[in-house]
Amino acid sequence: MSDVTLETPEEQPIKLVENQLPDDNTVGDKVVGESPLHHADLDSIAQKGPQEGGVYFREQKLMGMLTLRCVPSAAQQKTIKSLLGVALPMEPLTSVTKGEGEEAISVRWISPDEWLIIVAGDKAFELESRFHEKLKGHFSIVNVSGGSTIFEVSGDHVVDMLKKSTAVDFHISEFPVGKVVSTVFAKSGAVICRIGEKHFELVVRRSFADYLWLWIQDASREYGLAVKA
Amino acid sequence: MTSSSHTHGSQQSNRLQDGGRIDRSKTLTFTYNGKQYKGYAGDTLASALLANGVDIVGRSFKYSRPRGIVAAGAEEPNAIMQVGATEATQIPNVRATQQSLYDGLVAGTTNGWPSVETDLMEYVGKVGGKMMPPGFYYKTFMFPQSMWETYETYIRKAAGLGRAPKERDPDSYDKMNQHCDVMIVGAGPAGLAAALTAALAGARVIIADEQSEFGGSLLSSTETLDGKPASEWVTDVVKELATFDDVMMLPNSQVNGYHDHNFLTIQQHCTDQFADRAPNGQVAQRLHRVRAKWVILATGAHERPLVFGNNDVPGCMVANAVSTYINRYGVVPGNDLVLMTSNDNAYRTALDWHDAGRNVVAIVDSRKNPQGTLVDAARERGITIMVGSGVIDVQGGKRVTGVSIAPLNDAGDEVAGSIVKMKADTVASSGGWSPVIHLSCHTGARPVWNDDILGFTPGATVQKQLTAGAINGSFSTAQALLEGLSAAQDAVQLLGLTEVEVALPVTEEITESKAMALFHIPHTKPTAKAPKQFVDYQNDVTAAGIELACREGFESIEHVKRYTAMGFGTDQGKLGNINGMAIAAKTLNQTIPQTGTTIFRPNYTPVTFGAIAGRDCGALFDPERYTAMHSWHVEHGAKFEDVGLWKRPWYYPKANETMQDALNRECVATRESVGILDASTLGKIDIQGKDAREFLGRVYSNAWAKLPIGKCRYGLMCGEDGMVFDDGVTSCLGENHFLMTTTSGGAAHVLEWLEIYHQTEWPELEVYFTTVTDHWATMTISGPNSRKLLEKITDGDVSKDSMGFMDWKTMKVAGIPARVFRISFTGELSFEINVQANYGLHVWKALFEHGEEFNLTPYGTETMHILRAEKGFIIAGQDTDGSVHPFDLGLSWAVAMKKPFSFIGKRGMQREDCVRPDRKQLVGLKTIDPKVVLPEGAQGVLDPNAPIPMPMVGHVTSSYWSANLNRSIAMGFVKGGLEKMGEKVFYPLADGRVIEAEICNPVFLDPKGERQHV
Repeated sequence: MSDVTLETPEEQPIKLVENQLPDDNTVGDKVVGESPLHHADLDSIAQKGPQEGGVYFREQKLMGMLTLRCVPSAAQQKTIKSLLGVALPMEPLTSVTKGEGEEAISVRWISPDEWLIIVAGDKAFELESRFHEKLKGHFSIVNVSGGSTIFEVSGDHVVDMLKKSTAVDFHISEFPVGKVVSTVFAKSGAVICRIGEKHFELVVRRSFADYLWLWIQDASREYGLAVKA
Repeated sequence: MTSSSHTHGSQQSNRLQDGGRIDRSKTLTFTYNGKQYKGYAGDTLASALLANGVDIVGRSFKYSRPRGIVAAGAEEPNAIMQVGATEATQIPNVRATQQSLYDGLVAGTTNGWPSVETDLMEYVGKVGGKMMPPGFYYKTFMFPQSMWETYETYIRKAAGLGRAPKERDPDSYDKMNQHCDVMIVGAGPAGLAAALTAALAGARVIIADEQSEFGGSLLSSTETLDGKPASEWVTDVVKELATFDDVMMLPNSQVNGYHDHNFLTIQQHCTDQFADRAPNGQVAQRLHRVRAKWVILATGAHERPLVFGNNDVPGCMVANAVSTYINRYGVVPGNDLVLMTSNDNAYRTALDWHDAGRNVVAIVDSRKNPQGTLVDAARERGITIMVGSGVIDVQGGKRVTGVSIAPLNDAGDEVAGSIVKMKADTVASSGGWSPVIHLSCHTGARPVWNDDILGFTPGATVQKQLTAGAINGSFSTAQALLEGLSAAQDAVQLLGLTEVEVALPVTEEITESKAMALFHIPHTKPTAKAPKQFVDYQNDVTAAGIELACREGFESIEHVKRYTAMGFGTDQGKLGNINGMAIAAKTLNQTIPQTGTTIFRPNYTPVTFGAIAGRDCGALFDPERYTAMHSWHVEHGAKFEDVGLWKRPWYYPKANETMQDALNRECVATRESVGILDASTLGKIDIQGKDAREFLGRVYSNAWAKLPIGKCRYGLMCGEDGMVFDDGVTSCLGENHFLMTTTSGGAAHVLEWLEIYHQTEWPELEVYFTTVTDHWATMTISGPNSRKLLEKITDGDVSKDSMGFMDWKTMKVAGIPARVFRISFTGELSFEINVQANYGLHVWKALFEHGEEFNLTPYGTETMHILRAEKGFIIAGQDTDGSVHPFDLGLSWAVAMKKPFSFIGKRGMQREDCVRPDRKQLVGLKTIDPKVVLPEGAQGVLDPNAPIPMPMVGHVTSSYWSANLNRSIAMGFVKGGLEKMGEKVFYPLADGRVIEAEICNPVFLDPKGERQHV
């Protein structure tokens, strides 16, 4: 077998894998992507708006996101662990996070055969490619980086804001740090992960981002909302 | 509130110098029915009105009789107020007994047209006592039916059910989801003991009470706990509860609904207890949606008034309410009290009245020989006690002036002696206590009659529910505390927590003699002729009315209720239901348990629409979904159309253009040069796995086995019934890899459909689906110059030879990696460019930078509809409606009956009914007058002169003016239409016109498809 396992002996690609981001060489200035809340100009609000509040909001822009679907065999789990650097969280509603900054990776359980892998924006293609190279058997991995964005919400009243938005129980005994749920959020949905006692990440769909941003502003109003760059 | 010119001289004449839980250092000014009054912090609107000697708070619903405050809590039937200082802040149906007083409060009576003091309706009420007998809804107003609207207007106006504000409410409302181990409803002695016990054991506790302070009966009690005033114990417990992180205390919060699975709804008043308008940023009311592992109902009991003649004259009150006004608010609502009771407990009211320095005219006890601690206390004070007697009626119009007292027989159902008249301005009565079982009934539990307490208690339940205190008929404070503790210990055990010992306070020893079962005080005259004896004040139901209903054959209590309106509406029978059932039982000569009870529904008290709507209003009413290019569309003046939740550009009018002008321009520009459409909203599903191709073959009606990599194909998706529900183009990306597109509105449903079939029918197929709708920004350039435009900004070879029709390729467009599909919904040479959505706007703008020389024209959904209709392409959901299969649409080429495995809908579309030749089939329609555009939805007939009802042959599904063809075009269904080419069909319209059209092939433009194959 050649080093590219994506191809059958007849040279037919089994699956399409393409880098979907522009590279520096194509155009003079690298084109910077626009996150789903680009139009809200959060950087200006962060500068000019309130610095303190009961709820803090930040958009983690342009992250790399991959949806992995499989029912992993022991062998697949082993390969996946070597690809991710962390074991796939098999326990429902859990997540695994490792590393900092560019090297950070977070893997979130979505359903019995689905995980969301979050890495730095420019790491997604590389990771996706390595899955296709190394992982045998039935699985699917799809780059969904453009389809979602991440809202980081925190603060003393963050749980109150969340309680207005979703029916999930956020008590620390029921929803410890690292827990993740995919649930209805206002009239849209979100993948909610607790990353600190008063600190959550919400993965939301691109097309709903503006609605949810409006919603969070409104639901946070009585506690005071501060935007972070 | 600067003007004091309207204030009364005699301020708060009924207010005591000291005592109560009000703060006399904080005077509050409020307006009631246009006049200004003063009260104190800690007052309710009701206590402040009574302090000021306001007797009349409304007019009754049917008879327009003046009514006063009767109770002190949620059960108040009369003091139903319209509250609000401005038009925008109006709230109807507020109980004055539940509204905390604040400075600047403006309230008015809900009932009483045109004014409560002199009411035109009163004449009707007095003269026409028989004008509205029970059942008037059925008898009077159903006939003649044509008059109903007149009656309705009259009734509504007269009944004064409150009114909604005419202006937009400036406040914000909220909903919040809560979870707990133990939800405790009611913060009286039982509720507080339960909360403390559960909290100490480490449970997550929510405790809610409708009153502004916790304490329930203890707030107005003269009892001691541990030798100190009971309210001190309340203060200590509340303080202790506040130290627990996992205890949520909700005062001013009415638990209004108890639903299945221990889900409860609580309406919390956050700011409308102290302000007309919520201070900036704050939430006026909040609806808590609680999911509790265990619920403890400690809802207490309501005292039952006795039913006697003219018992609705202001000044007639429930005994305990009088005590509450004295002890909690420092208000004695009169001077001369007559107390009528069937039990010991109510003696407290006479004692309180006496101790407040006012005159107790007499205690009228229906029992022959009352004995007990409280009876002794009354005797010690020298209060006159008339035993074996009852108040048979009262005198007075706008306030009680006197009472008629008569001896009763042993059963209490006949007057047994001569009448004594006495002067009095207040009549307090007590027929015992009714447990507040409303919430327990919400979940379907049938109440059970308990002879020992003369009341209904909660029946067996399937909920994880416990009860404590007066709701069980355990009316003493000692018993309530004990049951609160023990219910919480049970909950703690059931939750698997460790019990903690809790010390209860020592209560006073009180002995009581047995209460008498008495509900309806007899009169010397028969009930029908006696002065009106009210059972349900709010709905004006009398004892005579209930007797009449029973005589007329309404024997089921549910029928009696509906015939008389007893317990209807916002009242929900809180005061009157038991008395009503007792009267019905007596009339039917049966026991109360035989008669049974009606049950109660949510909500316990009225909930504002604001609290129900929460934040889901205005801009947040429904989500709006935006594409990556949305800001560009806004900047370029697009008009938007809702497609599902998406905001899609509809058309882009230039200055002074009408919609039709804009459409004509967009249509012509696209066919002559090049147009561009934001197609990002199309559903997109990534499909991977070795069985992906097989799966496609089973969910689409056409064949997929041989689609090569790099090719696209149109597919039709049908339900099991064979009817088309979605369509789209699916492309082969790799041997085991496809990209499916769906309609914009159908994306979520299609993904679910695929998952359901995979998970339930064909789990053996190795295939996975992932939505990528939002991941890709999609823009379609269409028109003869689209290739030239694309060539300017791509590194790919898009020539005819390299990239044919229905091919796709990856390439860079404006420097961004793209998937480009040569597919067409316009019939023109078209390229659908997909880039990662974060780069969508960049590429869109780059196309415009290079598009000027080609007059690149943005077009919206309306032009898209016209251009596709010119080609006869269907839109699933517009030209289909769930009742048409592919053959009806003339799309037999998209059905592969010979696929080795079946496909969804194959059998359905072969049913006998589906192969009839005269089914409605989709055809083109050309109006004979080319300038006339058929209205969509118009029904066709073959013979315009046929008598009505004309046989209809099908409707117009799509119809437009085609600027490219300079005529109207349309598609529609015609029975057997595919065999009727060239024949005429007629469309008679509502305005009398009849439009004649010719049935034709729906492909109006370029039938050979030459334009898209260049």
